Amino acid sequence: MKRLASVFLWGGVSVLGAAAFGVLALSRGETVNAAWLLTAAVCTYAVGYRFYGRFLATRVFGLDDRRATPAERCNNGRDFVPTNKWVLYGHHFAAIAGAGPLVGPVLAAQFGFLPGTLWLVIGVVLGGAVQDFTILFCSLRRNGKSLGQMAKEEVNPAAGATAMLAVLFIMIILLAVLALIVVNALKASPWGLFTIACTIPIALLMGWWMKSWRPGRVGEASAVGAILLIAALVGGGVVAGHPTLGAAFTHTGPAITWMMIGYGFVASVLPVWMLLAPRDYLSTFLKITTIFVLAVAILVILPPLRMPALTPFASGGEGPVFAGKLFPFAFITIACGAISGFHALVSSGTTPKMIARESDARFIGYGGMLMESFVGVMAMIAACTLDPGVYFAMNTTPAALAQASQALSQAGFVVSPDAMHALAARMGETTLVARSGGAPSLAVGMAQIFAGATSVLGGKTLDALWYHFAIMFEALFILTTIDAGTRVGRFMLQEIVGHVWPRFAETSWYPSVIASSAVIVAGWGYFLYQGVVDPLGGINSLWPLFGISNQLLAAVALCVGTTILIKMGHARFAWVAAGPLAWLVTVTMTAGWQKVFSADPRLGFLAHAAALAGSTTPDAGRLIFYDRLNTFMALLFMAVVTVLIVTSLREWWLVLSRRKVAVVHEAPYVESAYAVGD
Amino acid sequence: MWRARMRSETKTAAGRHGGTPPVVQRLLRIVRRIIGAPDYQAYLEHCGTAGHPPRLTEREYVDQFFESKGKGVRCC
Repeated sequence: MKRLASVFLWGGVSVLGAAAFGVLALSRGETVNAAWLLTAAVCTYAVGYRFYGRFLATRVFGLDDRRATPAERCNNGRDFVPTNKWVLYGHHFAAIAGAGPLVGPVLAAQFGFLPGTLWLVIGVVLGGAVQDFTILFCSLRRNGKSLGQMAKEEVNPAAGATAMLAVLFIMIILLAVLALIVVNALKASPWGLFTIACTIPIALLMGWWMKSWRPGRVGEASAVGAILLIAALVGGGVVAGHPTLGAAFTHTGPAITWMMIGYGFVASVLPVWMLLAPRDYLSTFLKITTIFVLAVAILVILPPLRMPALTPFASGGEGPVFAGKLFPFAFITIACGAISGFHALVSSGTTPKMIARESDARFIGYGGMLMESFVGVMAMIAACTLDPGVYFAMNTTPAALAQASQALSQAGFVVSPDAMHALAARMGETTLVARSGGAPSLAVGMAQIFAGATSVLGGKTLDALWYHFAIMFEALFILTTIDAGTRVGRFMLQEIVGHVWPRFAETSWYPSVIASSAVIVAGWGYFLYQGVVDPLGGINSLWPLFGISNQLLAAVALCVGTTILIKMGHARFAWVAAGPLAWLVTVTMTAGWQKVFSADPRLGFLAHAAALAGSTTPDAGRLIFYDRLNTFMALLFMAVVTVLIVTSLREWWLVLSRRKVAVVHEAPYVESAYAVGD
Repeated sequence: MWRARMRSETKTAAGRHGGTPPVVQRLLRIVRRIIGAPDYQAYLEHCGTAGHPPRLTEREYVDQFFESKGKGVRCC
């Protein structure tokens, strides 16, 4: 009877999901309600978690609750702590969710809502969640070891070193791209800049509160910080309207770039408790609350999607937001939300040290990534509720807009200058044209949804306040990632140089701290600056580079996962990791090749450099150098991952052909003291 | 036995939350764990279960906690 009920229940969920996908796929020209998109996503997640997640947990990994986890064996009351799975789910989600799942889908909306949504939903079930779960499982069985350590032990030492270098380079590109989003959101925006600037003294106050005045009282400090943050948000409106103060907080992109570079350096050098930790707490609270409120608001108003299912740019490749066709660029534009290599660092970081029982790994690793994908779907909805004309006017640089104006008017994606002016005034900005990077258009979409929800509930529509709240929300956790990323990059550089100069590896030796911080900040600062001065908008060249690098890191993680499965004697199930790996390698190598060698100057770095060669513009020489540098970076990423794949393939061949004895470096089996099923 | 060897600062901290209702304490612990905040009471409880006196005062524990937090990755 129970089995029959289960068959009916899951059959019903599957049929409902299929029907929702049918509505989305078959709509042509008519407006589709966001409810269909949400239904399709949620049903797919439910079926994926129930069947595929369970298959991975029981058949592929053989999770065993009788086996003590690192949290139980190495419990020290600080890093290794057995934690309730719901609590750890929240902790893990807060660590993996960032700006990526919000910005990527917004940019990919230029292809229409359907391709991005399909990739978000299918990619996560078969790829992203599998990667997170696999690496979490591998680290769980190895005392919480990092991805680099596992690559070194399970593949070979060269692979470990390659993975570490790949992470360092990827980190530099990632930080540049994230910083570029903030710069594009804050340039010529006194309200936004004032609010974000205020977060620095607020974080310093919180740091002093929880370190010196009332040690460990994070809740109190965060509550005070949140109140001050709201005051700064409201105060930003007053500052923007003031003739002197407004001018003082109005800056160009390059000026904000230098501020970001200075901030990144200071944040990396200062003690953690002073800036990084308080900002992290503030952004975690804000992130969880805002995502929850956005989900509720979308469910309350169920907005119609104004972007069509497919735009002409999906097949043409001449999209004004970024160049390139749907394949492969939709799959690298949406990285976080579908599959993100960076998650492998979190899944082999703090989370495996806190899991109480092996079976919890499915809920936390697989389920956590499904929730991240859901955030991506909400971002897609927020972007697609905008009028397409507004969306393209906001996300396109003037140069790209001029090139794409004919295609945009043919598709009917036009908006009058007066309408853009009125929208900017409603949002408390001077202009919203050419605010590329995804964050401003997401903020407008979120502001409209929030304002719609509050009007349904009987409140006022405070568009400008909601818009700047959304900007603050995005900028705050991007800055947290920049703080943490610069510091982690600094540690990695110190470790690498420490192999030849041991003193340099001392993380408390100030000359080393300052020098390594300066190198990392100079690295991402350089790419950031080139993105800001790039006439095609920077996002056009840097976001694909970030997508390629992030997906290649996922390829590194899946290489390690496949190797471990083969060595465990589970070669018949190796396809669960090898399948997404093959797809990612195909997508990223194709995208990397096109970014370097495409004959279209908007797409290929070398073609762009060649087009500029005869130009008399004063910046031509510098832009040509940037193109060559981007070419070098793309080829470097591709070469590094090729090395890792070749060494992994060799290892698989040796083990499968029995030329080498498979040695897995799992921690020894210790029986758990927790009763199974307790 | 191990209680007798506790440092005076750790004894003070151990008794601090005596007046807070257990439900509130549990709720606060959940929030702390989700956001990755230091939880000295949990550390003291762990030391009690492990049968050794706490080696760190609350201030030392918070310092070490923040230091290890700075080595963690936040995703993009």
